[in-house]
Amino acid sequence: MSAPATAPAAAGHHEPSKFHFYIQVAMILSVVTGIEVVLVYLPLAKWFVVTTLLVLSAGKFMAVIFYFMHLRWDKVFCTILFFIGLVLAGGTMWALLHLFGADAAKPLTAAALEMARLAVA
Amino acid sequence: MSSHAATGHIDHHHDHTTSTGIPNKKLLWWAFLASDCMFFGALISTHMVYRLNPPPGNAVPTQVFNIELTSFSTFILLMSSLLMALAVNAIQRGNVKSTRTMLLGTMFFGCIFLGGQVYEFEHFVHAKHMTLSNSIFGSTFYTLTGTHGTHVAIGVLLLGMMYVRTFKPANGGGLFRNFAHLLTICVTFGVAFIWFVPGLIEVVYGLPIGDLLKRAAIPLAVGAAGLVSLFWLGRTSGPVEFGEKNAIDVEAIGLYWHFVDIVWIIIFTAVYLLEYL
Repeated sequence: MSAPATAPAAAGHHEPSKFHFYIQVAMILSVVTGIEVVLVYLPLAKWFVVTTLLVLSAGKFMAVIFYFMHLRWDKVFCTILFFIGLVLAGGTMWALLHLFGADAAKPLTAAALEMARLAVA
Repeated sequence: MSSHAATGHIDHHHDHTTSTGIPNKKLLWWAFLASDCMFFGALISTHMVYRLNPPPGNAVPTQVFNIELTSFSTFILLMSSLLMALAVNAIQRGNVKSTRTMLLGTMFFGCIFLGGQVYEFEHFVHAKHMTLSNSIFGSTFYTLTGTHGTHVAIGVLLLGMMYVRTFKPANGGGLFRNFAHLLTICVTFGVAFIWFVPGLIEVVYGLPIGDLLKRAAIPLAVGAAGLVSLFWLGRTSGPVEFGEKNAIDVEAIGLYWHFVDIVWIIIFTAVYLLEYL
């Protein structure tokens, strides 16, 4: 799969058509989605499946923003602007998952809460 | 863009009339999408934090989800992204007719996705007894996927407005006709995702088609009338104002549409697929 050449089309001022290129990208994305669904049912190690799913999703994400959303052909400022939001969102997710993943952050069950209340009393 | 129009050359990616070289509309949309990333980041984090430590009595996701339907919805949304990219490609080449077809296709696929979500929510509430308030999982799931669905619905409306705009006559006027056209689109696609698509999914899962026709006869009749009106209003008579110069407008709506697709790519993996491990 290769991006279309940037030479002017026969019509003169029109941009070159990316029709077939977009079809190719969409087909690849569909196949990757199919692989993701099949992957969760395969008897593979959990760490391997999780890593593969994350990598495939990230690949699909990047394909859509760089090809369908034209970031590849746009000024780099658009990429920087979008990635500022993306990095902030990703950082927030990472921080929250680590904060609430700690043992001390686990919610107490009703029985444990009652024991804690009695201990304080 | 006016300088480009004077020379007969339209550069869709760089606008030398702005200090950044990027059209203001495009810059606005990228800034908005960057902020929307943080919004969805917070919603996805909230859902995942509660999945890390599920309280007793929480719903079991794998017993609730229907992964076949969700995978189909994901495929449909990906294909809608393809049609949106083709709509932008068509208008950049000045092909208004093809742009209209692609915009309608994108809206139709968007409605299939929304219909799938309407069916899913209805099924979860009535068959699986998972409501917005009876479990933490339900609260975070409905908030996250419902917010995404609202984004898709807004996207369909924006695409409808862009579609109607392609019919604006070059000599002005046509305001009433355009308003009627937009109203018809809202009615037709509203019926499609609230009654028609969820009904078809129920038929696939065993509901007799007669029951569907009896249950939703009036909305389906209104939708059918809307569809006929849509074809009637879609006939072109004379030159239109819309053309290659509007490529940036279609591209801006396209950015939003692709964004809802990439958010779903993350939701599909984080909320649905990881539950099956």
